Amino acid sequence: MKVVWTIFLLVCITGIAFAANDGSMKKRAKPYEYGMVTINNYSVKGGFAPVVFDHWNHRDKFTCRLCHVDIGFAMKGGATLIKANDNIRGYFCGACHNGMMKYGDKKVFAACSKKVTKEDKLRCKKCHADTVNSKKDDEFDSFAERLPKGRHGNGIDWEKAQEQGLIKPADTLEGVSIKRESLDSQKDFSLPTKVKGMPEIIFSHRKHTVWNGCEVCHPDLFVSMKRGGTKYSMVEIFEGKFCGACHTSVAFPLTDCQRCHSKPPQ
Amino acid sequence: MIRIFFLLTGFIAFSAPGAWCDETFKLPKALPREVYGNIMINRTSTKNGMLPVVFSHWQHRTKYTCRVCHAELDFNMKTNTTEIREVANRQGKFCGACHNGKISFKLNGNCDKCHSGDIDYKSENYSEFAKKNFPRTSFGDGINWVEALKSGVIAPKNFLKTESRDIPFEKNLVLEAGWAGISPVLFSHKIHMQWLECSNCHPDIFNIKKKTTAHFSMSYIIKGQFCGACHLTVAFPINDCKRCHPGILRN
Repeated sequence: MKVVWTIFLLVCITGIAFAANDGSMKKRAKPYEYGMVTINNYSVKGGFAPVVFDHWNHRDKFTCRLCHVDIGFAMKGGATLIKANDNIRGYFCGACHNGMMKYGDKKVFAACSKKVTKEDKLRCKKCHADTVNSKKDDEFDSFAERLPKGRHGNGIDWEKAQEQGLIKPADTLEGVSIKRESLDSQKDFSLPTKVKGMPEIIFSHRKHTVWNGCEVCHPDLFVSMKRGGTKYSMVEIFEGKFCGACHTSVAFPLTDCQRCHSKPPQ
Repeated sequence: MIRIFFLLTGFIAFSAPGAWCDETFKLPKALPREVYGNIMINRTSTKNGMLPVVFSHWQHRTKYTCRVCHAELDFNMKTNTTEIREVANRQGKFCGACHNGKISFKLNGNCDKCHSGDIDYKSENYSEFAKKNFPRTSFGDGINWVEALKSGVIAPKNFLKTESRDIPFEKNLVLEAGWAGISPVLFSHKIHMQWLECSNCHPDIFNIKKKTTAHFSMSYIIKGQFCGACHLTVAFPINDCKRCHPGILRN
């Protein structure tokens, strides 16, 4: 009897699962929204709005590696469990947002502080944004104007912007980063695809290490150092694993197929 | 217990296909040729004291492929879901990317051209337009756009500012039909890619995960899902059975 019911339930569940894939277009992030991370581990519990972090207005100043390795931010929104006290002591956001650091001739505003005055409240809102900043759209536009256009995502070709010297992201932070010798990066290589006729992927360590060093990807995302040693599929990438760790939500999105699948079939 | 089980399965077996068949044959109302592919956009127009915008696909398709607006300019594939605002248009986004007085008519002084509120607006233009030497079809707007492109009657541009680097992927798919006696669908990536780019369909509309057609039967397509995202109201309609199921005997 139990078996019959199990089969019946299984049939129902598969039915629901099929219905869930609705075959329609999902809403895609607007250029200024792409790479936006909302962090709410403790904010609302502590009486603040969640923190809204934009990758685009940090990426022109610092490489991914600096925050995700040296400062220690996890690669998943909300996984770092940042506390106000950490920022006050100079960890995480507080590594730069300490009220002392200067970027160019501008002082970087301080993150959290123990005592909050009325004036401070405006500062809190810079990150704990309780209302949608209606000007962000415009701020982004004037920011993006001077950078080379890209397809999808932010609509900015960050790779080109860096190569052309339009942005100069710093890879180290005084007092946080420890100087290390750089390793020679491998030459570009191609990865075969499973679908016949689909162009091969050209992977460039050189392009990736500018932003990520070795440590952002190895060994967590790609354990094997041997080419082809880590097996993964496009489906897993779409699910946010392997290349998808960055290329679904932060780095140029997977919908820009041609950027990876660039080696025509032989 | 067993009785309940059989009652339940019986109920599903008899009721579901009935409902399914009904939906399968409930095609959208056939529209006059000049109106097919016209959409009425009214997200905020009437709220702001303007008439809704009427957009005609046929008029724009002669100049640009689908991907220009639906990928490069970020127009969503569902009416009223794109946050088109006057400010954005003035900044050169959405409609304003072309309607700036340089590529096409400017916004100032031309409000009525778009905010007509009339789905039939300037339909006489269509009859004039359709006199051209287009390859014909008896469905949708009466023009075989694929042939028109192939024969060079129209030469729509593929990008506005950011050129797309195409993947040379010409794989043809043979999609088996769910019903016995219905010929399989011959799907051509090549023809679709003349108009679209990969991301218009993948991975949202067609997930690459499920390598089967079982999950996109006609009952979904007719609701605007899968092929129906375009082939109900904008690209040639699904009552033109033969174009997808070429082996079918008659339409």
